[in-house]
Amino acid sequence: MKQNQLVEKLSLQAESFQEGFETLIKCGNFEEITKNFWHILRGSFLVTNIILIHKSSLDSEWKLAKSEVEIKKSDLAFLSKKDQLTIKYYEKKKFEVSVVLPLSDSSYLGILLGHKLDNSGFSVFDKITLQILLQVFSSAYDSFLNQRKEKKLVFDLNEKILQLNNLIDTGIELSRLEKQNVLFELALERIASITNASSALIIIKDKENKKVTDQITFPGKISTNKILRSKLKIESSFEFNKKLYQFVLSEKEARKGTTSFSDLDEMLLQAIARQVQASIENEFLLKQSIEKERIQKEMSLAASIQQKIIPEKLPQIVGYELAGINIPSRDVGGDYYDSIDLGEGKYALIMADVSGKGISAALLVSTLNAALYSYLEFNLPTTDLAEKLNKLIYKSSPPDKYITFFAAILDSNSGELDIVNAGHNPGLLLRKDATLENIEAGGTGLGMLDFGFPYTGQRLTLNQGDKLFLYTDGIPEAMNITEEEYSDERMIEFLRNNSDLVPEEFISSIVNDIKKHVGEAEQSDDITCLFLKRN
Amino acid sequence: MSTDFNIVSEIHNDTLVMKTDGYINNTGGEQIVLEFSKHVSNINKVVLDLAKSKVVNSIGISYLLEMVETLNQNDGKLYFTNLDPTIEKTFKIMGLFQFAEKVDSIDSVLK
Repeated sequence: MKQNQLVEKLSLQAESFQEGFETLIKCGNFEEITKNFWHILRGSFLVTNIILIHKSSLDSEWKLAKSEVEIKKSDLAFLSKKDQLTIKYYEKKKFEVSVVLPLSDSSYLGILLGHKLDNSGFSVFDKITLQILLQVFSSAYDSFLNQRKEKKLVFDLNEKILQLNNLIDTGIELSRLEKQNVLFELALERIASITNASSALIIIKDKENKKVTDQITFPGKISTNKILRSKLKIESSFEFNKKLYQFVLSEKEARKGTTSFSDLDEMLLQAIARQVQASIENEFLLKQSIEKERIQKEMSLAASIQQKIIPEKLPQIVGYELAGINIPSRDVGGDYYDSIDLGEGKYALIMADVSGKGISAALLVSTLNAALYSYLEFNLPTTDLAEKLNKLIYKSSPPDKYITFFAAILDSNSGELDIVNAGHNPGLLLRKDATLENIEAGGTGLGMLDFGFPYTGQRLTLNQGDKLFLYTDGIPEAMNITEEEYSDERMIEFLRNNSDLVPEEFISSIVNDIKKHVGEAEQSDDITCLFLKRN
Repeated sequence: MSTDFNIVSEIHNDTLVMKTDGYINNTGGEQIVLEFSKHVSNINKVVLDLAKSKVVNSIGISYLLEMVETLNQNDGKLYFTNLDPTIEKTFKIMGLFQFAEKVDSIDSVLK
């Protein structure tokens, strides 16, 4: 064939080459490309058989890509082992043509073409056509690889967007969950999903004894040991409220088996673990805040109860001067004092302290106050009064609640005092001549025991110039920042040095002295006292 | 690998209905495509009912995309139903809805 005839014939084939190329680039996978290329070859060369084989690298094994006949091991001997394009033509052999076509991804396409059906042999035109078709395949394969690369890039980019989106959504959703089990399940589902982990686990341990208190897995039915035994795993943990929370991810999935977790996976795991930690901490702080609010409401109620019981004004006693004070602590204690006009020149002086603080203490003070006013109407000796109050408080209070109680009935005409001390701090009687008497006679605190033991009373006379000082333990036990107490000694010394002051001034001065001692420390207990002076 | 995944399939004329149960990961995705490939020559619509699948990862999605491509080449279509909101958002971000469709029920495809 002359050259101009050859060119003309090839020109006529150009459209067919173009169509072949377009067919190949539309293929979605390698199998489809080779299948279509096989058909193109068959249409171009009327040969006995066509075998297409492929190997992923120079050293790897050939694998059948497309053939309608069985391929034998000996057939592979026709193929060059070189890493460059090799086209061989044979005469009187099983195959007439063998081709090894290197591809851009370092893989190779092998082609074996049988004899032409008309036994004409491969013409120059056929040889040029084969060259062109190899170029067509190579270009289509490059296009396929580029499309695949582009798809992978888009997929990877979408995956990163998904990871970021999931991370944000998970943070929001975790912060809304209150039940910890649901919180952990969601965290595991999300972290497994965004890192492609095959399974995930949270183990919660007691920090001190390392005992496992709970463990949650994803998927739910997978065994904890299987996850922990995995060689491909990453971990993250945090401690909160004496518990250790350990997160484990195992076996990062790939299309072919498993792979190692990346640095990004570790960062994502840490981020989710931190979000879980924040949710647990927030829940804990919320509960604390609710509890604090509840306590504050209780304290406020207790304070208002106590405020109504403590006298706003003390009675005027002819020939005497009397003053008292109650400064409740922030926690609202159960201190109580009163002076009650009993008529006929008699007055009851009361000082009491309920064990504990808060609403229960305030309610017990309220009970004592009501009972006291009721019993005092019967003009009972203070020992009988104490016995009756003991029975009542014993019955109406829980076992750990009791009241230390000091009562003195003053006959203002004679100065006589009928006194009982039920487990309270001793009353201090400072005589005009500076002699100090501790008044301790009595018995146990009200409500402590109900064995019917009688209370022992004491009778004393308050003469002109004598002073009676009653107080609760909030005064001697007032502590400064180094936990040093104000002390009985300092209180008595203050009493001795300042007893000539008018009672109101005396009380104001001792309170100032206590505050001076306490300094910046918080007031730990109620400060309550009563000062009576006979003119 | 976790094998905590189950699939139930039914053929209705030219439609393959698959109901999945569990994590759509490598194992789950592989099983879906395997089931699909058994019927690919006889169907051109696939409905995936994901009522019992609440978690999917990107490997599982790559299998679904593979199935979408095969269906597109055959002028077929993939439909999803009973999607968990998180999975729906995941599919949206990963571009699955460019070629597949969310439907309210299996019946709406079978009609």
